[in-house]
Amino acid sequence: MSLFQALIYFFREAAVNLVRGWKVSLLAILTITVSLFLGGVFLLASENLRSRLDQWRDESRLVVYLDTGVEAAARQRVRALIETAPALVEVQIIEPDEASERFLRAFPSLADLLEGWGEEPLPASFEVRLDWSQVEKERFDPWLQGLSADVAVTMVDDDRDWLEQLEAAVIVLEGLAFVLGLVLLATAVFTISSVIRLTAYLYHDEIAVMRLVGATEFFIRGPFYIEGFLQGLGGGLLATGLLAGGHRLLTHEAGDVLVASMLIDRFLSPGQLVALVALGAGAGLLGAIVSLRRENLGATAENPEEWAEQE
Amino acid sequence: MIELYQVTKVYPGGQVGLREVDLKIEKGQLVFLTGPSGAGKTTFLKLIYREEMATSGYILVNGRNVSSLPANKVPYLRRTIGVVFQSFRLIPRKTVFENIAYLPRLLGMGGQEQRKHAYETLRRVGLAHRMNAFPRQLSGGEQQRVAIARALINQPDILLADEPTGNLDPELSEEILRLFLEINLQGTTVIFATHDRELIRRVGRRVLTLEDGQLARDDMLPAGTVLPPSADAAVEAMDDAEAAAPDAPYGEPG
Repeated sequence: MSLFQALIYFFREAAVNLVRGWKVSLLAILTITVSLFLGGVFLLASENLRSRLDQWRDESRLVVYLDTGVEAAARQRVRALIETAPALVEVQIIEPDEASERFLRAFPSLADLLEGWGEEPLPASFEVRLDWSQVEKERFDPWLQGLSADVAVTMVDDDRDWLEQLEAAVIVLEGLAFVLGLVLLATAVFTISSVIRLTAYLYHDEIAVMRLVGATEFFIRGPFYIEGFLQGLGGGLLATGLLAGGHRLLTHEAGDVLVASMLIDRFLSPGQLVALVALGAGAGLLGAIVSLRRENLGATAENPEEWAEQE
Repeated sequence: MIELYQVTKVYPGGQVGLREVDLKIEKGQLVFLTGPSGAGKTTFLKLIYREEMATSGYILVNGRNVSSLPANKVPYLRRTIGVVFQSFRLIPRKTVFENIAYLPRLLGMGGQEQRKHAYETLRRVGLAHRMNAFPRQLSGGEQQRVAIARALINQPDILLADEPTGNLDPELSEEILRLFLEINLQGTTVIFATHDRELIRRVGRRVLTLEDGQLARDDMLPAGTVLPPSADAAVEAMDDAEAAAPDAPYGEPG
């Protein structure tokens, strides 16, 4: 028998097993669906947060505040120093008037606050945009120290400080998601393995006869492997379907809510969806392998190619 | 065809299944294997189709030492040996055709070819008309004939039968025996383990008598011969033991 014929036989037998034991099969499929769905939700959240983080990082600026009433020569000196920055993209001077306008645009209700501070409530500053992906810490840190030490500079505000804290939070979230995903996946593998073991027990008489007439272990175990694979695949497809449906619903119903918008800005890529389904199928296959090992159905499965050659 | 050299089988726990058995069975022979329960008949058969491995000694089947056969080669050995049991071992949820078509299917035959092959084999055992029946719809004799068809479907060189008439009444036993004789006439080597001394007496041929795992007698008898006293005594002792206790279930050394 060729490998192709064997696969057709495995799929047919696995389908029969799935239909005959549909209740336990459904349980296995639902377990893996829940696992992958929750894993997918975490993946979606972390993907969106990371994407938002990258966007904020790209937009982040270094703001160099100058002392009030600083002379033109000092400004020129600071500007020249800024222009030696590693991976500099753009530098822009923000005059006190413009700074005030921006403040008023962002916080109109605090207009009174500025009035109380006299003619120049906000100092002039330089907004520095760098290509952060090209910035090397070894060059950046001494440069920043030199800039901060200039007498005309009162403060250097680096947006990356809070972005780094946010990134740390995302990493923790991803770690938790990974651990939770592993636990859920292990549960799914265990459930599928139990279901396959039950099926193998139900068919033990048939397995004995197959072994008696000269069926190889590959031929005996094949339908069970495919059964586990199909259960995992079904769970994976169902989970991605639920994720897509949930995402669509959330976009439609709660797109304006800030937290929701952070989680649903973009959906998983086709590659990630395929990976999720493949993970389900792989978990199903693993469950079947674990279950049949535990059942000790016989010798180790043979090399299918060798087997196919000998048929 | 089948050669045993100093074959001993000791089960875990120390129970001896066979003890230093030497014998040779030629191609095309029909051999009866007899002896009381626990004498080693089932062990003898299991060693030939490698359900069990000998503790020591050599078993050659068609010149290959099955004792040293790697586990992944055992299926190929089994495709050359048909095995029939007292309990038929049919799958109740499968039809007669499905029960006997395992081997054609795993050999890669197409659906039509499988059916043709199954039909021809079932015709040999007189059951071609019950191809789509389920085992529960068949009589005991018919079920055993299906089991024989399953054993024959790959035209094996050797047919092993472990008490194939044990669950059948005398008339059906006669019918099944006739079938084995026909199969043997077509060149298949048959080893027939049985308690039925009347059956052995009627048919004759070679009779191997096992006692306590040892080959106690190896007689060549013409049909109608009264069994030699020791063999007869062995069969009688076996009958007494049977009367006292029911058959050991399949799978236990016997």
